[in-house]
Amino acid sequence: MPDPVTQLIQLVTSTYFLEIVVFPGLISIAILGAFFTWFERKLTARVQLRIGPLYSSPVGGILQGFADIIKLLFKELIIPEGADRFFFIMSPVTALIIGAALLGLIPFAPGVQIANVDVGLPAFLAIVTLSPTLVLLAGWSANSKFPFIGGLRALFQQTAYEIPLWLSALGVVMITGTLNLTGIVQFQQNNGWLILPQALGAVLFIVTSTAEMERLPFDLPEAESEIMMGWQAEYPGPLFMLVQGPAFIKLYAFAALFSTLYLGGYLGPAIIPPIVWFFLKTIVIIVAVMLFRSTFPRVRLDQLLRQGWTTLLTLSIVNIVIAYLIVIGVPSI
Amino acid sequence: MTDLTFLALATVTIASAILALEARDLVYGAAALGITFLGMAGLFFLLDASYVGVFQIAVYIGAVVVLILFTVMLVGPQLGEPPLELKRLSLLTALLVSLLLGTAGSLTSAASFPGPDSCGAGCDLVRLSTTLINQYGVPLEFLSLVLAAAVIGALTLAKADRNN
Amino acid sequence: MEPLTSFFAVSVVLLGIGIYGLTTKRNALRILFSIELIYNAANLNIIAFARLRDPPIVTGQVLVLFTIALAAMEASVGLAIIMLVSRLNVDIDLRKLDRLKG
Repeated sequence: MPDPVTQLIQLVTSTYFLEIVVFPGLISIAILGAFFTWFERKLTARVQLRIGPLYSSPVGGILQGFADIIKLLFKELIIPEGADRFFFIMSPVTALIIGAALLGLIPFAPGVQIANVDVGLPAFLAIVTLSPTLVLLAGWSANSKFPFIGGLRALFQQTAYEIPLWLSALGVVMITGTLNLTGIVQFQQNNGWLILPQALGAVLFIVTSTAEMERLPFDLPEAESEIMMGWQAEYPGPLFMLVQGPAFIKLYAFAALFSTLYLGGYLGPAIIPPIVWFFLKTIVIIVAVMLFRSTFPRVRLDQLLRQGWTTLLTLSIVNIVIAYLIVIGVPSI
Repeated sequence: MTDLTFLALATVTIASAILALEARDLVYGAAALGITFLGMAGLFFLLDASYVGVFQIAVYIGAVVVLILFTVMLVGPQLGEPPLELKRLSLLTALLVSLLLGTAGSLTSAASFPGPDSCGAGCDLVRLSTTLINQYGVPLEFLSLVLAAAVIGALTLAKADRNN
Repeated sequence: MEPLTSFFAVSVVLLGIGIYGLTTKRNALRILFSIELIYNAANLNIIAFARLRDPPIVTGQVLVLFTIALAAMEASVGLAIIMLVSRLNVDIDLRKLDRLKG
């Protein structure tokens, strides 16, 4: 066999390539994204005493996500007149790429991590700061009033929650002394899960990451009842699927990061393999965040900005003081 | 494979820098500037400066590009640039640019300065943070004061407009 | 590792593009783009020299952290000024903004 072909076959069947493409990479992200769509609708329905998706398969409508994808693919593609086609299509595509890149940084099991960077935690948070830029571009490119208002709201929302998000993760870094995500998990292996000393930080992290993901109660940019789906309003059939995808991928990524930072990642008694522990913890966090959606009303923009800069900022500084006291007080750290 | 990575990153950076200045629409220019910053972050990662690369992504692309996009969208569409005329300033610019490129070319043909292959203690993250806090702690505090001054200045500028 | 001259060449080319934009363009926002390009060229230069000297030192990265923060601040204040000027004048062509001249 000629040499480039052997090299290509070696590349395709190497573990690294399988990790990137199949698991925990692109194909598993796509399948889990469709699964979480169904999961959210079923969970919200049960909380509201409804039944939820039922008919797309014999087992409680579990294939609803895939049915939605097939339906959306057959719809007509109408791009508004005067819209900027390049940014209209490229913004959700770039958001998908960013979501997939976020999942590459997280340790799923000992040794199963696509990118073991020494600065894993700030890299994750830095890539996350790119997403409101894309929402602004998507909202502007639709050449319509409601999407532009949604895009600007995403920008204002970013100024409110960005600093408490980074500061609440800072508490974890102060205690563990490393920015590497695998290092943080290994610290928790020796010294117990970080959710106990950092309970305040964990609460802050969940609140600010819900704000970053633009989920209820912080879903001002895509407020369904106010501005008609906000920045997603003008997106036709197949592109709508492209736009909803990053929301669920970011949910998955943030839940995975929360379980890595505070719940010990893949750690657990050896009766269950580490990867199952990881998914159990991630699904618990995803259920908690989805329950926020059914429970709380939407926060107004001025309320959000005020609370972000007074309450959340003060609490995150208190969290840093608590972390400092733990670092100098407990002698084994 | 380092050569290929460096070549790809350098090409992307320089091409999007030219695009940022020459694109007709300012929003395309701002997006191209964002890609330039991303290429620069890649070059920083290549030079074992991973924390600086992350900082570049978070600050430049996450904040500066958003500010530029916001301003471009609020200022509105502007008239295009006139066709390039041969004036004295352009000639001076061309002279300066060719001088710089000539310096670069002459340096390239001299000894190549291959650097040490592994960075060791020079790029250690712990070393970076201890140096920053121990030796450069006072400039760090001054930097935070300058940040506060910049925020107050920008807020004053915005407020002055509303009072008018 | 690439030799130092390759990184230096990229930095100089970016500097040249930045100076060309700074002197030839008359839209205030394009001039801001050029200034940011010049900042980035200088940062790349500092980090390349700090890494590829023998032995490598970490002071270059410290300096670049400071300059990235300062560049972001300067861009934000500059953008506030541009937005104010456009609100008063509608046009941000720098050749027409000469009321303080002589």
